[in-house]
Amino acid sequence: MKDFNYEVIVVGSGAGGAMAAYTLAKAGHKVLMLEAGRDYDPKTETPMFKTNAEAPLMGAGNVDKDFGFYDATVDGGWTVPNEPYTTGDSSDFMWWRARMLGGRTNHWGRYSLRFSEHDFKGKTRDGLGADWPFEYEELAPWYDKTEMLVGICGTNTGLDDMPDSAEGVLQPPPKPRVPELLVAAAAKKLGIATAPMHRAVLTRPKDDRQACFYATPCGHGCSIGAAFQTTTSLLPMAKATGNLKIITDAMVRSIDVDETGKVNALTYVDKKSGSDIQLSAKVIILAASACESARLLLNSKSKHHPNGLANSSGHVGKNLMDSTGTGVGAHIPALEGRPIYNEDGHTANHLFVPWWGHKQQAKGELDFPRGYHFEIGSGFRAPGSGVSGNLQGYGKEIKEQAKKNYGAGVYLALRGEMLPNEHCYMEIDDKVTDKWGIPVAKFHWQWAEHELKQVEHGLKTARKILETMGATFDKPLPSAEKAILKGGQIIHEVGSTRMGESAKDSVTNQYGQTWDCNNVFVMDAGVFASNPHKNCTLTIMTLAMRNASWLATQLKNGEL
Amino acid sequence: MAIEDNKDNESSHHDGYQYQSTITRRESLKWLGILSAGALLPSIVGCEAGENTTKVANAVGDAIKGHWPDLTLPPITVKGYGKDPSMIIPPTSPWPKTLTAEQLTLVAVLADILVPRDGNVPSATEVNVPDVIDEWVSAPYERQQNDRLTILSALVWINDEARLRFNKTFTILSPAQQLKIIDDIAYQKDDLAPEFTKIARAFSRLRKLVLAAFFCSPEGTKDLGYLGNVPIAGDYPGPTDEAMAHLKQVITKLGLS
Repeated sequence: MKDFNYEVIVVGSGAGGAMAAYTLAKAGHKVLMLEAGRDYDPKTETPMFKTNAEAPLMGAGNVDKDFGFYDATVDGGWTVPNEPYTTGDSSDFMWWRARMLGGRTNHWGRYSLRFSEHDFKGKTRDGLGADWPFEYEELAPWYDKTEMLVGICGTNTGLDDMPDSAEGVLQPPPKPRVPELLVAAAAKKLGIATAPMHRAVLTRPKDDRQACFYATPCGHGCSIGAAFQTTTSLLPMAKATGNLKIITDAMVRSIDVDETGKVNALTYVDKKSGSDIQLSAKVIILAASACESARLLLNSKSKHHPNGLANSSGHVGKNLMDSTGTGVGAHIPALEGRPIYNEDGHTANHLFVPWWGHKQQAKGELDFPRGYHFEIGSGFRAPGSGVSGNLQGYGKEIKEQAKKNYGAGVYLALRGEMLPNEHCYMEIDDKVTDKWGIPVAKFHWQWAEHELKQVEHGLKTARKILETMGATFDKPLPSAEKAILKGGQIIHEVGSTRMGESAKDSVTNQYGQTWDCNNVFVMDAGVFASNPHKNCTLTIMTLAMRNASWLATQLKNGEL
Repeated sequence: MAIEDNKDNESSHHDGYQYQSTITRRESLKWLGILSAGALLPSIVGCEAGENTTKVANAVGDAIKGHWPDLTLPPITVKGYGKDPSMIIPPTSPWPKTLTAEQLTLVAVLADILVPRDGNVPSATEVNVPDVIDEWVSAPYERQQNDRLTILSALVWINDEARLRFNKTFTILSPAQQLKIIDDIAYQKDDLAPEFTKIARAFSRLRKLVLAAFFCSPEGTKDLGYLGNVPIAGDYPGPTDEAMAHLKQVITKLGLS
């Protein structure tokens, strides 16, 4: 890279890294991006219109392709070959990683809900967790800009858990489908509102990207660019400025300092040759994912930074949060044999159930402090390796049973906010290294009463909604301890390098600039001070845009 | 020992139907015989060939009634397709198929009992369901290896039951004789005789796999009625008028309007 006079190195090409690189490149700053995985081009690699019959095992998932054969994730999933992680005693934690250009944005669910005023000041309201170092109003214009750039479909609902976007920002949402409308009717009867989901899926063309044509699950990736991923949007757009260069297969080993302890370089493993390469660095942005960035900081120990870089607070790796997850599904007899139509839509929720309980929580009527939402699983789906329902017999009768059941199942998936607790954190396992000799992450996890109470409430509510739709249950609900999914399993891990007001109890300031090293920034979900239930990616991108804009000003003013 | 002796003769019982895989017969033959070493039936050693089921059951009691092949299967140790397979051109033969010709034929007969031809709609074997089952039970992944034990045990049980009742392997029984056995194992009802609970569970797993493989095929997908996976120009049209009319009725019936 001798011929490319970069000012900033960005580690990671996913939501945070790509937005940071795009913002800086647009502002005229030369950016070098390092991605640990391989190059990836959705235009040529996405399995559009493929059927499960064409895939091995009818498309079913396994340890090679955890979310099914066609899931866009390359060289990753719950396991990455030769790159283990470990867990502490009685800690269950699952860590999803991708090793590809664009990272996890190639397969994510594209749910893009803004955090609300409640979410940024949780501690002020209930005394728990940490406040963010700014109010919702500070981020609102950046949400607008990000939503415009990314392309979000949805509507302004006026609900207190869904702040409105500025006029003209959102693209129109797709029409809701029959099971979603039935959920809406049942929820309404219980006093619970439903709303169009906000998704990073174009329903109108934008830039070089086409509008959704309502076929092929977004999780496969999207060759036409309708479903947002950085590889069809921010990265090519940033490259087009001439200010971004990307090196793939570059696994960063350490951030390096000079004799005074100031960061001046980083070292990465060129995975193709296996050799280490050191790059001088004026400014480094970490956006390798919350836990990879924390791992990198913790592994970058030196005389001046004995506990790892930017870790004078001791908070790197701490405050780790995921979303809570559970769900209840049921067969809805009233939907049996309903008229069939093309129910693919944009292949995820058109409607969902936003959190409705802020007022109840303010009045102290609920025994858990933070909210959740339900995502609705339903529809006449493409046939795959599973056939639902309790089928009996053989011959014509089982086909008839299967057809009757087709499209009659509804699943309500809970996604909720957890609070940070002292038992949920990551550190470096000094006994285990990956293939490149880099010490691996070790996770510790324990759900607290807050999450279990919330899940218990969610299970009961989901069941009530399904019963209102005519479902019957012959078994009691499982306990929250049994029903709650594992830490990490919702793939919303955040908080490991949290931002705050003070260098004592946070790792970065409100701009993602580490308190200890003014030329090291974190622009992934590690900086989240809390983990609202609304899916982290939109806020990762919004923060990255805002904070990279601030960084651009700093660079222009010669502050760094 | 007659039942075990018969095992060795199985490959000569080809006077009946034999399923011909369109893709993998060569590979299947290569793996022929891998099962028989593990397929011992200690609980019915000593039974006389030719006795009908009732007599055997009366003579040996619960042990014969609850016969179940405790198979010890060698693990599948081949590699999977890895974490970066081509999704544009998926691997058509990601691992060797392992069912013997006899097992594949038995799967085919069962698959067509489960999904027979229905007017213009093809049967399971007409859309190569047995090959999909073979690929499934031969896969090196945990879930499929669990199913492998379930399905292969079911195949052995069904042949054992056929010999106990009719002194023949299942595939060469008359359709009426085949259905006599299937009728006993195809319904997981509360009053199911205890000797059928294990096989009914295993048969249920096979039933779901066969049905899934059938519905995945283009003809099966059409039969199921799935209308998606086609590009739509303009906005998503949403439910049809007919679908909305039906929903309206449902909402009224449930008292949600």
